[in-house]
Amino acid sequence: MTNIITATNIHRSFGEGPLKAHILKGIDVTVEQGEFVAIMGKSGAGKSTLMYQLSVLDEPTSGDIEINNVCVSQLSENERTAFRLNTLGYVFQNYALVPDLSAEENVMLPLLMAGQTWEQARARAHHSLDNVGLDGKYRNLPSTLSGGEQQRVAIARALSGKPKIIFADEPTANLDSVSGTQVIELLARLHRENNQTIVMVTHEREYALGCDRIIHMEDGLVTEIEQLT
Amino acid sequence: MRALRIGFLLGFRQIQRANFWTTALIIFVMMLTFLNLIAVSGILVGLIVGSERSFQEQSSGDLLITPLDNEDKILQTETIIRTLDTIPEIVSYSVRYQQGGQVTANYQTRRDFTIDPNTIGARIQGIDPISENQVTNLSRNVVEGEYLNPDESGYILIGALNLKRYTAGFADISGTLEDLFPGDTVRVSVNGATREFTIKGIVNAKAGDVASVIYMPELELRRLSSSVSRDADAIAIRLVDGSNSTGLAVQNILLEQGLGEFAKIRTFQEALPKFLTDIKNTFSILGTFIGAVGIIVASITIFIIIFINAISRRQQIGILKGIGIDKRAIEVAYVLQSAFYALLGSLLGVLVTYGFLVGYFDRNPIDFPFSDGILVADPTQTLYRFIILFIITLFAGFIPAWLIVKQNTLNSILGRK
Repeated sequence: MTNIITATNIHRSFGEGPLKAHILKGIDVTVEQGEFVAIMGKSGAGKSTLMYQLSVLDEPTSGDIEINNVCVSQLSENERTAFRLNTLGYVFQNYALVPDLSAEENVMLPLLMAGQTWEQARARAHHSLDNVGLDGKYRNLPSTLSGGEQQRVAIARALSGKPKIIFADEPTANLDSVSGTQVIELLARLHRENNQTIVMVTHEREYALGCDRIIHMEDGLVTEIEQLT
Repeated sequence: MRALRIGFLLGFRQIQRANFWTTALIIFVMMLTFLNLIAVSGILVGLIVGSERSFQEQSSGDLLITPLDNEDKILQTETIIRTLDTIPEIVSYSVRYQQGGQVTANYQTRRDFTIDPNTIGARIQGIDPISENQVTNLSRNVVEGEYLNPDESGYILIGALNLKRYTAGFADISGTLEDLFPGDTVRVSVNGATREFTIKGIVNAKAGDVASVIYMPELELRRLSSSVSRDADAIAIRLVDGSNSTGLAVQNILLEQGLGEFAKIRTFQEALPKFLTDIKNTFSILGTFIGAVGIIVASITIFIIIFINAISRRQQIGILKGIGIDKRAIEVAYVLQSAFYALLGSLLGVLVTYGFLVGYFDRNPIDFPFSDGILVADPTQTLYRFIILFIITLFAGFIPAWLIVKQNTLNSILGRK
């Protein structure tokens, strides 16, 4: 298997002088193509910060990250935005849907940005929504959907552009256990059926058990890599 | 193009899903701004335009012939009149003769000779009542009594500004006549000769000096002053239309015929009293200043609205950037909202201005001391001001959006400063 993510000696610190906080203290991580990886750790361990570096939402203070054979550290702001659009998909813990857009329009947004026509984007959005069990709710505004349904719309949006990697930042954090389990099962199914690479941050072990590997973090360092499959 | 498409989708949906009353309030503010821009300066200028219109219609006519600067009278008046008769564009003209004189009111009832007689100095104008009425509709300005009848003798019209009850004490310097009404008699003295006249009517108007003159038939004035000269003091000319181009054309004809050697021949605009043109310019500047303040207020309003809108959606903006939406698309969404507010507000402003205000002020002019003010809303000027308002509004919408969009993506998503 080939590595789709290779992060080498990643450091991330915030602030200056005596207030400087060193959150990531030299992390080396690789993720293979088609792998489902969970990042776990206690609050403040640096797991979300690591995911922001890997998902090109933030820039490390030092270190190199190569994703899909592209050294993202060298990309400009606009190139990073285009890279995120074309290569990555995101699922945030607060769903992060545009409240004024319907479910289908939320899913269509990155597709339209990628250059698809309205009809193409709509067809793909419907397909993605069907795939996450939201057929018949295309026109619903996010406010009319439950938390679990909103998170599934977010997953459909992340999936619709057929990204190389999906990053999920505590996707079950705002959901009840039933909805949380459904979301995790949905991610696991996408991984199984499509060989989708997924990197997920979670602090609940039961949700991480369906992954291929768990990266354990503590105090800004990787303390253990647990191979599950 | 993609950014534009996404921007339109985001902007359109934000407008569509926004609170109706909030949107209505913003559009109402934009409409008031537009009205402030158009109507306030339009009314200020309209006060003077109304005065100019009155001057043209009631005093000067479309062309006015007056003595040369170094002369007291129009030279070769008869020659000029003969020439005027040959020009088809001239509908009518009124030859005016003028003398300084005195008018005494209480000479019949004054018993106490220690009290000053009720006398004023006045300009007495000899006119042909029919011609004058054709040019200036003087009879319409008779507010009490009747207009002069050319077949009658011994009657005058008296300008209202010569009467105390019309001036409300504002004519203390020149003096006014008290307790005079149509049918009363006054003594008029010119060049040492005095004669008794009956007041036929009282003339009042806001144009030029229409209300400050004593009018009598030209023949009566000639008899009273024993003047043999036929040279006039003014000739007011009414043309087939009151347009500036016709006025200039006839002026050129008269000048080409050499009449410029005998008198000053001016269009009504050229003959406007200087204070009117000065006030017009001042009001125009004032109107522009008030309009500029209005634009600044509008742009700040839009800036604040868009800024609050964008800052309250900062996390959403961050997420949009996070999932790969071009920042220009997000900026377009907010600029589109500004454009929507400006467009709809201006459209309503145009409807109110041309559908209601212009007509209303035409029917109910503002009663200003020297004019009846109307609302002047030149469509070209309105278009220019709309374009200015629109462009400034776009900038006012773009800047806050740009400020928010340029923030760090992750900080926006996490709500960090």
